[in-house]
Amino acid sequence: MTTIYPGLAASKTEAERQELFDRLQEKANWVRRLVLEVAVKAHSGHISTAFSQAELLVALYQGGILRYDPKNPRWPERDRFILSKGQGGIGLYPILADAGFFPVSEFDNFAGKGSMLGVHAEWSIPGIEVLSGSLGHGLPIATGIAQVGVTDKKDWLVYCFLGDGELYEGSNWEAAFFAGHKGLKNLICIVDRNGAATIGYTDRIEGPNDGPRLEPLDKKFEAFGFEVRVINGHSFEEIFRALADVRRRTVEKPLAIIAKTRKGKGVSLMEDQRLWHYRVPEGKDLESARRDLGIVNADAPAEKTLVQTY
Amino acid sequence: MTTKFILGMRDAFFDVLYEIFKKDKSAVLISADNGAPSLDKFWTDLPDQSFTVGIAEQQLIGMACGMAFEGRKVYTYAIAPFVTLRCYEQVKLDMCAMNLPIVNIGIGAGYAYDIMGPTHHTTEDISIMRALPNLVIHSPADATAAAALARIAHETASPQYIRFDRTGIPDVYAGRNVRFEDGVIVTKQGRDLYIVATGVMVHEALKAAKNLEALGINAGVLDLCRLKPINEELLLSHLQDVGRAVTLEEHRLPGGMGSAIAEIFVDGGLHTPLLRIGQGDRFIYDLGGRETIWELYGLDAASVTDKIVRWMGNK
Repeated sequence: MTTIYPGLAASKTEAERQELFDRLQEKANWVRRLVLEVAVKAHSGHISTAFSQAELLVALYQGGILRYDPKNPRWPERDRFILSKGQGGIGLYPILADAGFFPVSEFDNFAGKGSMLGVHAEWSIPGIEVLSGSLGHGLPIATGIAQVGVTDKKDWLVYCFLGDGELYEGSNWEAAFFAGHKGLKNLICIVDRNGAATIGYTDRIEGPNDGPRLEPLDKKFEAFGFEVRVINGHSFEEIFRALADVRRRTVEKPLAIIAKTRKGKGVSLMEDQRLWHYRVPEGKDLESARRDLGIVNADAPAEKTLVQTY
Repeated sequence: MTTKFILGMRDAFFDVLYEIFKKDKSAVLISADNGAPSLDKFWTDLPDQSFTVGIAEQQLIGMACGMAFEGRKVYTYAIAPFVTLRCYEQVKLDMCAMNLPIVNIGIGAGYAYDIMGPTHHTTEDISIMRALPNLVIHSPADATAAAALARIAHETASPQYIRFDRTGIPDVYAGRNVRFEDGVIVTKQGRDLYIVATGVMVHEALKAAKNLEALGINAGVLDLCRLKPINEELLLSHLQDVGRAVTLEEHRLPGGMGSAIAEIFVDGGLHTPLLRIGQGDRFIYDLGGRETIWELYGLDAASVTDKIVRWMGNK
């Protein structure tokens, strides 16, 4: 059994830390390149949301934060990672493949007949814990898992990765009542706070689909009994600082990390732009996206791709 | 006046479940702020196996999923309309799509919450719950059946929904040797026709059968205590001996128990005349109690008797 748990970067020297961050940034960029090409080939997939979460997930899986064993995905001592924002599946699969849960070649047939990998995260995929795709399901499930961890005095942690748009679903707050009330300190929520839902922004008033306002989100979680940390979700420095002590927290509260991100991060035409939630670029847009991500030898010709909006 | 009759079927179920919980430490109960006389001992004696989430049915099922995922056998408890419709998507995705061993216990099937109006009436749960793959649905007719179901539910690994009545209803199976795991029970043997019923309506069916007896019609009663999957083979083996079938449910007709049986008839090419009795396409605001609702909408034994007699005369 291989346990990938090399320890946190925060304990290393400055030079080692920078070297790790550079390596992880290159991984995150690789994830973005793969996601773009896979989505272009399949004419489907939530690209921009996969881009906002890239650094966070790379840090968790390749930065020694999550405890897991790719050869034994249901290893009982693993940390449970619940991808509540199921549309982010396309951005998690490359990381799972890179970690060794399944071969990268699975992407050749993404969403095709007989394929293992689809648009939303399915629980049959090695490394994916639960079915997701409908929003507001992850946190209630995570509280059930965390409660069993507490009852059975387990030292594994439960991570619940949430989109900020999905926080409109009331079920999250039903779960937050329970988590806060029980003081489930083995539960860590990470909110991909990219400020955009499907077609509207969460805290602006420019368009008819904007809002309702989510802020003050930190105070909401605090009021439900969470410890809250607000970070820049694209900064490895801040991600590691926020997660450095997760295994030795003494406060008897669940932890909510609000990670401020930008939807479509890394591709200038998509970044924080409306309509790119479920849109796959074509033509000049695709050329521009590839240029931003440094893709030189793409398989799929730009003219064969299809434009899809939400 | 506290008797077994008044105590009711859910308490018979919980009493057996309590004994199961004492032996099986993987069993947990989650309540959405709902109590029962027989539940208090769970909270006092089994604190690691009893949880409450408040009035929050989505959390009830989602959390049950998380616990089942970690190897727990989970029982959730709320009133029937809320543990079905209020959290339907959680039941569909968190429970059924991942095929987890969770038993949803719903109290107050049909018009059990009679004077509480449409918010508390549960007359579409069979239609919507039977649409979900993997789900097993039980509907006991008395305390003896409920007690047996506690064991059956514990031994069944599938996601499950049990629709209980709320009030104490008479025991029809006490002292009888009944195989509840068969899912179909011959409550009363018949020769001319069978009334297929479930839950509290088994009792109205028995009364109607008695009325019919006086009119020279030998009617039997089949208790469909498992609504999904229906034991088609056993059900049809009884129905093939008689010329006619009637279904009786305290539930709306579209998609209900009668519909399920009609589907079996159609798919199997059966031409046995079938009369479905249940509630029409309406919400009920009428007050005065459950029996008043039954009388107004033709679900009481007298109305059922009349309907059957007229139907037989017309055919």
